[in-house]
Amino acid sequence: MMLLLAFLFSFVGLALLALAMERHWRQLHAARPLTKATARLLRIVGSTALASSLALCLSVDHASMASLVWIMTLAVSAFVLAMLLAWRPGWLAPLLSWTRS
Amino acid sequence: MHQTFRQSMTWLHTWFGLVIGFILIVVFFFGALSVFDREIDRWAQPATRFAPQPMPSFDHLLRPVFERITEPDPDAVELARSMVDGPLPEKYPVMDWSAYTTHRDPVLDTYVSFDVPNARNPDDHVHGHQTIDPRTGAQLSAGDLKIGSEFFYPLHYSLHLEWMELGYWIVGFAALSMLAALVSGVVIHRKIFRELFTFRPQKQRQRVTLDLHNLTGVVALPFHFFFAFTGLVIFAGIYFPVSETQLHPLVEAHEQAEAAATGLPHDPAGVTAPLASVDAMVSDARRRWAARGMGGDVGFLFVNHVGDANGYVSIYRAGTDRIALTGQGIHYKASTGALIREDPPETAIASVNEFLTGLHLQHFRHWLLRFLYLFGGLAGCVCIATGFLFFVEKRKQQHARDGVAGARIVDALAIATITGTLIATLSMLVANRLLPEHLADRDEWQRNVFWLTWLASGIHAFWRTSVVQEGESAPAWREQTILVAALALTAPILNWLTTGDHLLATLQANYWPVAGIDLFLLATSVTAGLVAHRLRRPALAHTTLAAMKS
Repeated sequence: MMLLLAFLFSFVGLALLALAMERHWRQLHAARPLTKATARLLRIVGSTALASSLALCLSVDHASMASLVWIMTLAVSAFVLAMLLAWRPGWLAPLLSWTRS
Repeated sequence: MHQTFRQSMTWLHTWFGLVIGFILIVVFFFGALSVFDREIDRWAQPATRFAPQPMPSFDHLLRPVFERITEPDPDAVELARSMVDGPLPEKYPVMDWSAYTTHRDPVLDTYVSFDVPNARNPDDHVHGHQTIDPRTGAQLSAGDLKIGSEFFYPLHYSLHLEWMELGYWIVGFAALSMLAALVSGVVIHRKIFRELFTFRPQKQRQRVTLDLHNLTGVVALPFHFFFAFTGLVIFAGIYFPVSETQLHPLVEAHEQAEAAATGLPHDPAGVTAPLASVDAMVSDARRRWAARGMGGDVGFLFVNHVGDANGYVSIYRAGTDRIALTGQGIHYKASTGALIREDPPETAIASVNEFLTGLHLQHFRHWLLRFLYLFGGLAGCVCIATGFLFFVEKRKQQHARDGVAGARIVDALAIATITGTLIATLSMLVANRLLPEHLADRDEWQRNVFWLTWLASGIHAFWRTSVVQEGESAPAWREQTILVAALALTAPILNWLTTGDHLLATLQANYWPVAGIDLFLLATSVTAGLVAHRLRRPALAHTTLAAMKS
């Protein structure tokens, strides 16, 4: 259960980091430019999510195993994210709803 | 020759990647299958479809099993022939007994080491081995091949080329080159961060294959790097056999010194002695592990100098909750059951080594990590496969104009190692279910089906790629993909017809080893069917293949 949550956090973290990039931001918001402040905010929240994901992994397993689980979780999340950005970028929109100013 | 560093790295990546890629894709694919080797064993050996068992009672069950293994296996006797000058010994004295199990094993592997008295190297010994049902002690049919752990797994690291350990050297060289390919790949990737999440399926196929190559290479980069590296660490003893060559006297001295320091006798005393209750030692070991706050499954049990006054019993904990395979060994005097020693915590270097090898060999209990490894292995396969496709796409037109066969040969080899490997694997599973149960050499027949279907797919690939020389896409891709879909559908149906364990039954019984393999086969069949369907449109052939692989 905790590991599923870790998975979710790693995915959300990577997604926010990706959306802080001009190219992927434009896939969701063609009209609205990405401001420097928003990009920074996305990066901070994204990194925090990744760190929480690691913390969750560490809470379940011995550190030697948790580190492997976390790294491999990141790999799967990154792959899924790339596939979503390619085929269904719209599905990521809820992740940005809170940035609307 | 090359203007810039990046150009020379591109050259390195292209040509090394191409040559070793054909080996690496086999290593990656069978490595990925080996993550579930025990489950494939259950699928292939219906008689062993029962729950995993703990280490059974030594006194009541294991001891009679060990005592009935009185001589080495036939292939071990063959091996002994190369160890001696002159005739083989009449009798092989027993040296030690051991049993190893993991949380995924319903069956137990028991081993006896035998001394080869007249061997040139006095350290040489040979093994006798039986796989038993740990509930009854009955031996399981010796001719029954464990397809997962005895065929796919060794194929992953030795390619079954045992002669002069050639396979280990080829795989080792491939792993070393892979490290170079990874580094050079990172160097030549212009936008590794900017395009980390980039996949553009709507672009032309050369771009798509490259995107997918980069994606599967970069997201799983830590996995690729660590597995190539730890694979080399595991077989370091073969690649750098210093302990058997230059440093041999030193190693001998070290073993003697270690025996003196630990109190575990290095040599037998030559005086016979009885064996005390090992079960009592096991329960004492469990108590000691519990006192350290660790779960107490026995993973490895070892009786050294059997029947000798210097004999001792070593009991190791199964490493289910750690990366290391086994650990926290506790040693007892065999004749009295008195405690000799508890292994102290590992030194830093030993624990790093155990972490690296355990990381690769993965006998821990962690199903999520197991599936993550499967993902890593398959990502590696896609990365190499798209590398081949990119190579062909980039050169096909040029080679067609120049009348060069290069692109065609690479395309044919790619087919033989991508769909061909799948066909051989699936044919072996189909043969496993079709061959009569009491056929003599049933294991040999299964191996032959594997190699012959692979060969046949290679021949077909060369035959049906001739149009690549005119710049067209090869029909062999689609033909072999259809065969993959058909075989992957046949295997679970045959499993149902021959054992009655159809998917609904195994799912209902929560018997995941067989249900999982069946589901995986069906998913393969559906995926291959979709790929074959998309490959009908020749212009899109490679693009969609690449996209479907994801």
